[in-house]
Amino acid sequence: MHYLWEQMRGAIPLIAHGDPYIVGLLWVTIRVAVVSTAAALLIGLPLGLALGLGRFRGRRALQILANASLALPPVVVGIAVLLLLLPHGALGSLQIEFSLNAVYIAQTILALPYVVALTPAAIQGLPPGLLVQARALGAGRLQLSGLALREAKIGMIAAVIAALGATISEVGAVVIVGGNFQGHDETLASALLEQFNYTAHEPYATAIALVLLALILVLAGLLTVLQQRTQGIQLRFRAA
Amino acid sequence: MRLIWDELGKALPMIFHGNPQLLDVIWFTVQVAVVATAAATLIGLPIGLALALGRFRGRNLLRALANASLALPPVLVGVFLFILFSPAAPLGFLHLIWTRRVVFIAQTILALPFVVALSAAAIQALAPGLLAQARLLGAGRLQVSMLALREARIGVIAALIAALGTSLAEVAAVALLGGNIYGYDQTLASATLYEVGGGYYADAVAIGIVLIVLILILMCGLGVLQQQGNGIRMRFRSAA
Repeated sequence: MHYLWEQMRGAIPLIAHGDPYIVGLLWVTIRVAVVSTAAALLIGLPLGLALGLGRFRGRRALQILANASLALPPVVVGIAVLLLLLPHGALGSLQIEFSLNAVYIAQTILALPYVVALTPAAIQGLPPGLLVQARALGAGRLQLSGLALREAKIGMIAAVIAALGATISEVGAVVIVGGNFQGHDETLASALLEQFNYTAHEPYATAIALVLLALILVLAGLLTVLQQRTQGIQLRFRAA
Repeated sequence: MRLIWDELGKALPMIFHGNPQLLDVIWFTVQVAVVATAAATLIGLPIGLALALGRFRGRNLLRALANASLALPPVLVGVFLFILFSPAAPLGFLHLIWTRRVVFIAQTILALPFVVALSAAAIQALAPGLLAQARLLGAGRLQVSMLALREARIGVIAALIAALGTSLAEVAAVALLGGNIYGYDQTLASATLYEVGGGYYADAVAIGIVLIVLILILMCGLGVLQQQGNGIRMRFRSAA
């Protein structure tokens, strides 16, 4: 126990005094989570609404595909994005390999399945008569979408929290695509991988772990409160 | 696009000619996934049953905790175990850091929330009268448990598939605790990280392809189950 105590004693002052390296990591992590979740919402919400409300052939197959995409291994997404962004790759002219921009792209792709798959799940959980009635009363596509989103808002918030949680704790794609450059495109989670690989007993590593834990606890707490309210919607982060 | 074709052109022969390094990594990954899932099932299924069937105080709190544990980032679990197992720590005498054994231990712990939380959820989703009736007819604890498992088998199998998927794709805890040592304790996911870090993109692509094929096989199993179990929806936490 003495050992654990020593670890804590080194770590707490770093957090309490706002060590610039740790504050920087926190800032990058939050930026990556917010930007990629927002981008995933922009791209994914129309797709999710189409899957949840649309009545077209192949919708079930697409929905199974969307559910399956939640299982995409982040390292595979990472290597695919990297090959596109490397100098000789299809998007090599952008020159954003091993940068924060590349991390945004990879994390957006990893957040997308949460929005696309969980939106229809939330909408399909609505009482069956509701949307039919709105349609019968002459609601247009846009009005119907607005109504569905408003009614399914708890499920939607849960999806957003799940996407945030995934982007915060994901490691594999961030390291591959960003190169894990200290103080540049490292997140809290990817920094932990680095810190513990090479300098195992740094108080920094423990401090970073504590900050990440606090961040996840806040999100998990929010999710638990939502779950208590919505009985039965079960979400979890893909942590990485 | 040329880069992608080039790397694919080098990667595919590695897979088809059964590159021995690659075969070793595949074998170790499958071993880890199967052993960890089996161990997690042995430990977790009784806990899941108790959470779903038991009638004791604090049950709801424990259920919420089990659900929340799905959100734990693997990298944090890795850090926690690292601190626990490092030489100066309470369990340091076990000499587990940077061994194959610790990879099995870490993946078992990461698979546990899936078995506990998802099997409990599957049992709770059974028709409400069923278990009450069995109890009323005098079924003992063991008999009720067996009945619940038999009736909720689709959900329970889905939980096991989710656990398998996590152990296949997880990277952070494996790399951190096992040290990602070439030719020794690398899994497919952590080997991808390693090969990209060294600039061996073709090797990384080959490993990534094998990983995604394994995940696809699991997802197909899950898809078949979903068609049968209508409405059970599960997903992997893939890992980092």
